[in-house]
Amino acid sequence: MTPARVLMNFEVTATSHTLEAYRARGGYQALEKALRTLKPEDVTQMIMESGLQGRGGAAFPAGRKWQGIDPYDGQPHYLVANADEGEPGTFKDRWVLEYSPHTLLESMAIAAYSLGARHNFIYIRGEYDLPYRRLAAAVEEAYGAGLLGENILGSGFATDIFVFRGAGAYVCGEASSLLGSIEGSRAYPRNRPPRMTVSGLFGRPTVVNNVETLSTIAWIVDHGAAAFRAIGTPTSPGTRLLSVSGHVRRPGVYEVELGYAWGRFLHEDCGGIPGDRPLKAVIPGGISSQVLTGKDAKVLTADEMEGLTLDHDVLRKAGSSLGSGGMIVIAEGTCMVRLLQIMLRFYHHESCGQCTPCREGTGWMHRIIDRIVAGDGRPEDLERLYTIARANDGTTICGLGDAAGYATVAMLDNFGDEFAYFVEHKRSRHQGNIECPAS
Amino acid sequence: MPGIVIDGQALEAADGQTVMEAARAHGITIPALCWHPALSVDGSCRVCMVEVEGRGLAIACNLPVREGLAVLTDSEAVRAQRKLTLQFLTLNHPVDCGICDKAGECLLQDYHYAYNATPSVSNEPKLHATKHYSLGERIVLDNERCILCSRCVRFTREVSGSHVLGIEQRGDTSLIRPAAGRSLDEDPYSDNVIDLCPVGALLSRRFLHQSRVWYLTATPSICPGCARGCTVDVWHRRPDWQLQAVATHRNHAIARVTPRENPAVNGPWICNKGRDLADLLERLRALQPMVAGVPATLEEAMAAAREAIAAARHPLALVSTWGSNEELEAFKEHLGPLFTCRVKADHQRGPGEPGDDGLLIRADKNPNTSRARALFGEAPADTPGDTDLVLVWGEGFDGSTLPAGATTILLGSFEAPENVTAAVFIPLSILTERAGHYTNFEGVVSGFAPCFPAPATVTHAEELFPRLVPEGGRP
Amino acid sequence: MKHLIPELEALKRRLPPHQDGVLVLPALRRIQEDRGFIADEDIDGLVEWLGIPRIQVEEVLSFYSMLRRAPVGAWHLQVCHNVSCSMHGAERLLAHLEERLGIACGETTADGRFTLSTVECLGACGGAPVVRVNEAYREALSVEAVDALLEELAGAAPPDTPGGWV
Repeated sequence: MTPARVLMNFEVTATSHTLEAYRARGGYQALEKALRTLKPEDVTQMIMESGLQGRGGAAFPAGRKWQGIDPYDGQPHYLVANADEGEPGTFKDRWVLEYSPHTLLESMAIAAYSLGARHNFIYIRGEYDLPYRRLAAAVEEAYGAGLLGENILGSGFATDIFVFRGAGAYVCGEASSLLGSIEGSRAYPRNRPPRMTVSGLFGRPTVVNNVETLSTIAWIVDHGAAAFRAIGTPTSPGTRLLSVSGHVRRPGVYEVELGYAWGRFLHEDCGGIPGDRPLKAVIPGGISSQVLTGKDAKVLTADEMEGLTLDHDVLRKAGSSLGSGGMIVIAEGTCMVRLLQIMLRFYHHESCGQCTPCREGTGWMHRIIDRIVAGDGRPEDLERLYTIARANDGTTICGLGDAAGYATVAMLDNFGDEFAYFVEHKRSRHQGNIECPAS
Repeated sequence: MPGIVIDGQALEAADGQTVMEAARAHGITIPALCWHPALSVDGSCRVCMVEVEGRGLAIACNLPVREGLAVLTDSEAVRAQRKLTLQFLTLNHPVDCGICDKAGECLLQDYHYAYNATPSVSNEPKLHATKHYSLGERIVLDNERCILCSRCVRFTREVSGSHVLGIEQRGDTSLIRPAAGRSLDEDPYSDNVIDLCPVGALLSRRFLHQSRVWYLTATPSICPGCARGCTVDVWHRRPDWQLQAVATHRNHAIARVTPRENPAVNGPWICNKGRDLADLLERLRALQPMVAGVPATLEEAMAAAREAIAAARHPLALVSTWGSNEELEAFKEHLGPLFTCRVKADHQRGPGEPGDDGLLIRADKNPNTSRARALFGEAPADTPGDTDLVLVWGEGFDGSTLPAGATTILLGSFEAPENVTAAVFIPLSILTERAGHYTNFEGVVSGFAPCFPAPATVTHAEELFPRLVPEGGRP
Repeated sequence: MKHLIPELEALKRRLPPHQDGVLVLPALRRIQEDRGFIADEDIDGLVEWLGIPRIQVEEVLSFYSMLRRAPVGAWHLQVCHNVSCSMHGAERLLAHLEERLGIACGETTADGRFTLSTVECLGACGGAPVVRVNEAYREALSVEAVDALLEELAGAAPPDTPGGWV
């Protein structure tokens, strides 16, 4: 594993999530530094220089998002941490919330200072229980210690954080939909323009950042932008938390330096595939990122594995993305038709129903794949799936429709013969198997 | 004033406009289902997708104009996407135009023919939803026809403010629903959602299966229901599609009333009272001239009236606030010198009827009080004790206030007990049988045209008034 | 829900002023924790307390999969059947639970002790397959582990509110 650690840089114990433990390892020094020595715009500049990209899925430069807000324009601003971690295969923010909630709180206090936000929200997905309780306890600790609320650390700066719990809607992971959820209305994504940094929560300039993105701020302020840039690659600085699941021996959350060879990551860090089966495919960053085949991902030999690295640019060029950091490893022998069926059921279940292509398209695709799996596929079905998927590409209000389309197109592109086999023979080439025996 | 280019045509847009607005302002139609000029931008139907040159597809309704912006509204990419969007919209829509009241004026139907025009490519069974879901006494909802454009929901939030409707559930099982225990009957503007609905999902019970819309024609008119004087379209059977044998009364009946958009008076809306004009105008008509309760010819009735006027010493005229500007002026000119004239409120606010509500509805339930008062003054319409003759024009006269020994001449349109007890009764035409103008409470003058021929035995007030003047005037 | 108003009022201290709509979802969650589901009278109370249109509350209620209008069994077993969990036998687990409990997915046992349903990704893919038992996650479950779980729950005191906190 790579040595550089930004977030997973301490030993997890029964108490390592507490304020006491966090302070013992240098916690809240960055906040003190920011409040005492930096102007709000200095912090934004520092984040800009660090090259930090969003860790929620879109990898948008965090500093540029922040620059959309003028902390001195005299109106309220809001900062929202997106902890609505719902992308299938993704559970890395949960690690931060459970094991280092103060990293998020300290970073948010710094960000709030930089953005001139008096009120902040952490939108945590409704099903998370332990992460919520850890986070809520940390918030109380921070208030008790004068690290949140009025006159923080005697600086005169005041900011509040409200932990807002979702109630079961994947679409709330989309930032504008999340804002609607906080406002107490249907969580419908919003059309852009306006950008949220112009009109977001309650119609005010708002920054929504992913938990991991925000949590990196304290480290950057503590160590400086150059130290952050020294980690990772020139185009993808820093580290990423990757949550690994599927057919893999050691699933879990890992922090890897961007640019890390992913074959090595899979086979050494994650222990490879149970039964040493060959790799069939990888979904690199949540099911909304495009699946890569074992062949594309060059995992056939150790040498070839080195060819692909965990890097935003590299994966983009390979036709996918690091997305939400939710990596699903798929062993040879897995029925991809069944996997796509599960994905399409998910998108159909989670479509908010606001805009036409996604509302109708996700259900249509779901019903088609259900029929294929039931052995009633028709020759025109695959072309129809392509058409529906493409009709959702860039035509919907938020990315959910696009994602359902991307997942479908990538599966059909890479495993078209398997789908054609299912339609023609009315059965799976892999007996419908999606599990991977350990031996 | 940013200059933009739509389909190669350079035009000036206004600052802050969207491409949709700029296009419409220049007569370029971009199809849209959820977008409506009087409601907030929803951006959900995706039908108004245009191609931004060099940038791909974007919805015109939420695309701000900027200098140099060039869009194509009918490029290959736009046509392809629009076709797919129409396929999505009709995927679970029953396409039951044959039995749908909206057929013939349905945007979905129009767009389907214009931009898709192919049979469904789906092999999946359609999703089902509630049919004939009651939204109260006035409106029923067909959720299968609904395309979730949310126009109705936005109307109840942004315009009428009743907040009755919302969208429940999510995804393709989303449903338009009223809040529990509430109905659209509470919203005096509810029927506007029927017009707003771009498909046949929200239907008027009153109009349900009454006529195909292509058998109807609209005549511009004015709702006389209050002092706003909303301009409306009165829909009735087309002259070239008259019923010949069965239910021929429908040839002369109001089929429905819709708003006639008018920024100076009512914008694009009217209230439900305007929808129910038939209730006001299709009451039992008085068609027979009478002298002392005995049927007479019009000539006999007019002669009797002239005689009574000539004989009166203290005659009083109660002038109608439902009379048109032309009729009021004719009265003033011909009969004004002969009478003490008072303006009478023909209609009073009924029990439970809204008063001034800040949107359209006015407490004064008469359309032309403004012009009547301008001509005849503000004095109260009470009856002095020495009155020996009262000429009552229109409704709203309380016979019990008549001084002992005084007689009445009634000029009216509807059956009433007083018609028989009056010295003279002369039947008049109604709003839908004549042309004229009303002046609303803000001084805006609007016109109305006849929808139907007047029955043979009634007369138009404007023509009647000069013929009531006694030979040589009153002594 | 009226008895909850004081504690919900207290939430306002860290919220921006005059934005009471923010309290809709927290209030609905709290009501469900308290009663086990959200009843008509709770909606009435919420509408009255916040002074918002009733339709707003009903829209929110029906949008989120976690909020319910009717009670569930004492133990609500939600089997995640998304990609990673299905790759680790969630579908077999669900079939086994249906057989053991004698109910179909979406149903509640006649004695009111168990409700069985599926759920989409719970964000615990590293511990697939996952079953959410009321509020708590039970991870990496085998068929045997599920049997043991049922055993454990059969002997445990039910929570104060069905489907709620233990």
